[in-house]
Amino acid sequence: MDALQGAFDDLFVDVDAVLLFSPSAAFFERFADREVPTVVVARENEYDADLFVDLPLSFEDVKQRVQFGVQGAVANGHVEASETLLCATAAFGDDVDALFRVRANVSEDNGVYDLFANSRADAAVIRDVLEVVIELGKKGQKGEPVGALFVVGDAGKVMNKSRPLSYNPFEKSHVHVGDPIVNVMLKEFSRLDGAFVISDSGKIVSAYRYLEPSAEGVDIPKGLGTRHMAAGAITRDTNATSIVLSESDGLVRAFKGGELVLEVDPEAY
Amino acid sequence: MVDVERLAAEPAVLAMVVLAIGLVIGLLVGRLNRRLLRAAGIPGIVEGTPFERTAQSLGTSTVDIVARLSSWLIYGVAIVTSFHVARLVSGETFWLRVTGFIPQLFVAAFVLILGFVVADKAELIVGERMRNVKLPETGFIPKVAKYSILYIAFLVALSQVGVSTTALLILLAAYLFGGVFVAGIAFRPLLQAGASGIYVLLREPYGIGDEIRVGERRGIVQEVDLFTTSIEDEDTEYVVPNHRVLDEGVARMR
Repeated sequence: MDALQGAFDDLFVDVDAVLLFSPSAAFFERFADREVPTVVVARENEYDADLFVDLPLSFEDVKQRVQFGVQGAVANGHVEASETLLCATAAFGDDVDALFRVRANVSEDNGVYDLFANSRADAAVIRDVLEVVIELGKKGQKGEPVGALFVVGDAGKVMNKSRPLSYNPFEKSHVHVGDPIVNVMLKEFSRLDGAFVISDSGKIVSAYRYLEPSAEGVDIPKGLGTRHMAAGAITRDTNATSIVLSESDGLVRAFKGGELVLEVDPEAY
Repeated sequence: MVDVERLAAEPAVLAMVVLAIGLVIGLLVGRLNRRLLRAAGIPGIVEGTPFERTAQSLGTSTVDIVARLSSWLIYGVAIVTSFHVARLVSGETFWLRVTGFIPQLFVAAFVLILGFVVADKAELIVGERMRNVKLPETGFIPKVAKYSILYIAFLVALSQVGVSTTALLILLAAYLFGGVFVAGIAFRPLLQAGASGIYVLLREPYGIGDEIRVGERRGIVQEVDLFTTSIEDEDTEYVVPNHRVLDEGVARMR
């Protein structure tokens, strides 16, 4: 046993901070009086931890989750760049069962944290839209796979760079994503062509919008269709974020600044 | 034959007869009332109100309660009258007061029931009407309608049984005074903006994405809520209180 411990000692050498991902109360208590700074990464700050990073989605992909936590900790100033971090998270079960030793490196920033924290729209709005889209991807419309495109934030500019394909079903209605009935409504309207436009505060401004950004210089992975191209291009022309559900491969992708920043599989949620 | 006449003169027997007649009339009036209320479509009207639902869960219904109330009123009067006829308790004034008080009590109970039903119904109807107004902020208006009707019903019922209601009226006046003055002075800008905001949200003279000018500020509308409108130009985002929109008017750019 000692030999086994010795073999893994390297993991714990010169660790500057510990990141706990959604820890249980007992697990969190164990770190209460240690000298190393402890950062809690979770949906809610249940234990009033001093250092806390808000985890808007429970990323199914462990690598994404750890990256998000590290980026969040750096962005909030809890840890310095190039410090060595030990991340404890649940990879298989519900309890912490995996340890990662990572170096907080800013240059590796893939923008997932940025997507939530530094978007024009509220983080909660982006999370709500992502949840709606993921649910749409899981269930589809009457069992058929559907595609959908949501443009979130900077709605004024987006409206100016798009035109209506037909009458706007959301005109003079003041509904917000996250309202309880909206999920059903959006699911029904997702069979319409065109994009949904959602304002910074989460108000559904319009459906049925045909986006007209200039697609010049937009670099998205080859093989994605016109919907993704439009989604990427509109985020380069405006400060919006777009969230797309692909009809062909069923993946949910988020674009910001003309680039793909997040790719999740709804089935894995 | 003589026996019958003598019996009829006996107060106790007379009292029993009065009581029996009273019970029969009470039962009949109860039945009749139930029929009348049914025929008037009362069950359909009160359907869905919380009062009816509570009554249903207790194994009865609003119509039943009202009908039974009218029977009990007559039973009560019959019992009191038979007591009077039997001369069980003496004193004319006492009986006058009792017989005067019983109907008042029943009217009070009836007013309360009516108040509950009407209040619930008003809440439903106002809520139904408000559904066209797709503003989440207006959710409290049906509740206000409900509780003001309940308040009035309580006042009427209390004054019916002779309880002094002056204190309650003074309380209401104090609340109104406080509400009007504090809200009027402290929240004046918010109220102004909110009142204009209701117009702006309902009529939508401009929508998100329109280019407008309010006074000196010109730009694209980014957000409209109850109190403010956010207008953004190249480098600045103006947050304009909605009453400015009405005060100064809006110019829509083409």
